[in-house]
Amino acid sequence: MRNTWLVARREFTENVQTKGFWLGVITTPLLLLLAVNAQRWLDSRTPTRAFVVVDPGGLYVEAIDAAIERLHQREVLREFGQYVSKHALRDEAPTALDLEDTPAVDVDKLIEQVSDANPAAVDAFVTKGGVTMALAMIQGRLAADAPPFEEPRRSFVRVPLPDGIDPEASPADVAEALRPWLRGDRTIPLDDRNVDLFAAVVIPPEVIDHVIRPGGMPQPPSTAESVQFWAANLADTDLASEVERAINEAQRREAFAELDVDEATVRAAQGTSVPMVKLNPTKAAGREQVSMADQIRQWAPAGFVYLLWISIFAIASMLLNNTIEEKSNRLVEVLLSSITPWELMTGKLAGIAAAGLTMVSTWLAALVGVLWWQAGPQAEFARSLLEVVTGSGLLPAFLAYFVLGYLLYGSIFLALGSICNTLKEAQNMMQPVMLVMIVPLLTMVFIPKDPNGTLARVMSWIPLYTPFVMMNRAAASPPAVDFYGTSVLLACSVLFTLWLAGRIFSVGILRTGQPPRLVELLHWLTRRDAAS
Amino acid sequence: MSTEAPVLILENLRKTFGSFTAVDGVSLTVPRGSVYGFLGPNGAGKTTTLRMALSIYQPTAGSIRVLGRPSALEVRHRIGYLPEERGLYKKMRARDIIAYFASLKGMPTAAARARADELLERYGLAEFARYRCEALSKGMGQKVQVLATIAHAPEFVILDEPFSGLDPVNQQVLEELIDDLRRAGTTIIFSTHIMEHAERLCDRLVLIARGRAVFDGTLSEARRMIPRRILLRTTGDPDGLRQVPGVVGIERLTDDQFELTLTEDGEPDAVLAACFQNGLPLLAFDRSEPTLRDVFLRLVGPADAVEEVA
Repeated sequence: MRNTWLVARREFTENVQTKGFWLGVITTPLLLLLAVNAQRWLDSRTPTRAFVVVDPGGLYVEAIDAAIERLHQREVLREFGQYVSKHALRDEAPTALDLEDTPAVDVDKLIEQVSDANPAAVDAFVTKGGVTMALAMIQGRLAADAPPFEEPRRSFVRVPLPDGIDPEASPADVAEALRPWLRGDRTIPLDDRNVDLFAAVVIPPEVIDHVIRPGGMPQPPSTAESVQFWAANLADTDLASEVERAINEAQRREAFAELDVDEATVRAAQGTSVPMVKLNPTKAAGREQVSMADQIRQWAPAGFVYLLWISIFAIASMLLNNTIEEKSNRLVEVLLSSITPWELMTGKLAGIAAAGLTMVSTWLAALVGVLWWQAGPQAEFARSLLEVVTGSGLLPAFLAYFVLGYLLYGSIFLALGSICNTLKEAQNMMQPVMLVMIVPLLTMVFIPKDPNGTLARVMSWIPLYTPFVMMNRAAASPPAVDFYGTSVLLACSVLFTLWLAGRIFSVGILRTGQPPRLVELLHWLTRRDAAS
Repeated sequence: MSTEAPVLILENLRKTFGSFTAVDGVSLTVPRGSVYGFLGPNGAGKTTTLRMALSIYQPTAGSIRVLGRPSALEVRHRIGYLPEERGLYKKMRARDIIAYFASLKGMPTAAARARADELLERYGLAEFARYRCEALSKGMGQKVQVLATIAHAPEFVILDEPFSGLDPVNQQVLEELIDDLRRAGTTIIFSTHIMEHAERLCDRLVLIARGRAVFDGTLSEARRMIPRRILLRTTGDPDGLRQVPGVVGIERLTDDQFELTLTEDGEPDAVLAACFQNGLPLLAFDRSEPTLRDVFLRLVGPADAVEEVA
């Protein structure tokens, strides 16, 4: 026991001192922070993008301008909502805001209403005075130290055509002439700076004759007969879709008029909906409604499966490397003249498990910490995730399955390491193991969809997959027989594998030359003098 | 030699790996307090025998008594073992690795650290105590490993090829270390390829070839294994020397060189006296003792010996 402890302590100290360990400890929280903040950061970093509209027929330019303005107002409102939730005094009654002559709505409602593609609501907001009015409304309800509200930067601004381009030329020629700007070779003035031209919307007048209408045979339109969206950056589709929607809206408004349909009537019809709620029968009466937390609870196990997989194999691989090191420099002979192979093996397993658990714990702590820090009324996702991670049995389940899974795979890796002389040999031997190991990663996505289905149940009873699949199913309250049965089976398999690995290890660790064939391995297992 | 119970008794030890017989009936006895040499060509079974003595391998047949017990595992805290191939944990510091191995041998952790410092100081490595092993030179690393072997003050030390890879200066240091251990009453087995070391250090030695012990005894017994020879250079005819008791043969090597073969108790002095009596004009008279190397070559055979030397 003392020797196991000594070996474990050495393995722990050595591994904790490696660069890899600290990289693992530090990068994961960093990545988490980055992932959480990336969107916000990217938003704040994206510059205002300039675009031009070439519309000699004057068909849609007004519609585009109006749409871009509404987009901006929506962003203003969203920002305003966050501002209010951050700085408003909590115990104040919701701010009443009269909008669209509807009964009093609070700011949250307003934001909800306006954030969807609801042009009328945005227009109403702007008509009533926009953010200035909104600010006036919450005056006096803000915390004393609240900073002034800052309007967000515009995402897109339409700029006039660069100097030297003849707006009277044919759209095709203008598009051709704009190429240097669109490629970034030339810049265009915006406010007091010169910026790249992000996009050009070219609207040939003929396009009005090629509007696609229902009923007609759809003809593949030629470029010259279509609205053209020119942009070198294909990844940012916001402007393209905004422009497309604006143009279509304008065209449909036209169609309403032609068909002599009242637009307001259509909007009213479109605005109707039937309420529908998602309910979960396994929850207590009155609380069946599916919340975001419920959805996260459904999917969070998959995240944990991934974490489990990564940590088990990262750590078991450390075990493999380090066994091969000891073997290849024959340190193991000195060790085995002092302690038994069993003590050496269990010491290594325990020491590296401790190092691994330390790393995984920092990951979990970082996850909970980052979520806790980010969680707020505006960050429902983070709050719900935090609730799921800490409130349900996922964490204890994770730790239990980590330990069992690690012991199972760790002893397999140790046995493998003990029969190989070089890392290269070990990598060859690892290939079949890797194939087996990859399966839970592949099924990780399917299992939550049918967590108590045949696939999930069958895989749960395969000890090699039990930790991953049961973790995967953790949210779906699997039948008790599955839970207890697989746990017992897993525990027995761990003991059996440890015993098996112990025998292979005690023979293999001193062996040099070619790795043994399968027949030889079986012989080791059955021979009486194999274990000392 | 001590009259106490022997430190190691091997009886008819056999070890087979599959169809290959590595050790084929080795019997030997290592008296307490002796320095015992293991000689033999590569692949002769030296290391396998030592590993069996340490219970790292289980023998296929035969019996072992180490410090009075049937298995070295029962007394492993009283044994120190330096394997042939060298290795240290690259990332560990010299002092820590010595202390670690000592603590695995049952020393309390604090005492093991103090002992490591003391040993490093005594053998001139104090300044390297905090170095990681990967930063040490090969010879330095080897010294650290030897110190790790003896840190727990074992009464029985097994050193497998301790001299290989060391420069003459460090070989000298190691010889002194072995001498220190011997004076402290430690029983030492070491295997070596270098006959001079065996001649200088060993009280007894065993010569292993093809899995068998072809010789087991003291150094002088080993020397007596092969006939004594005298190399004569003379312009006369040494044939008359055949009358001297103990001389069994005279062979002419070159014009004026002759090799006389003596029996075990043949007296070179008597031969020299006879030369003067016979009035033999002597150019040279070389009565050198047979070296261990000669014994080795004769017992192992030139074929194996060539491989050995190479």
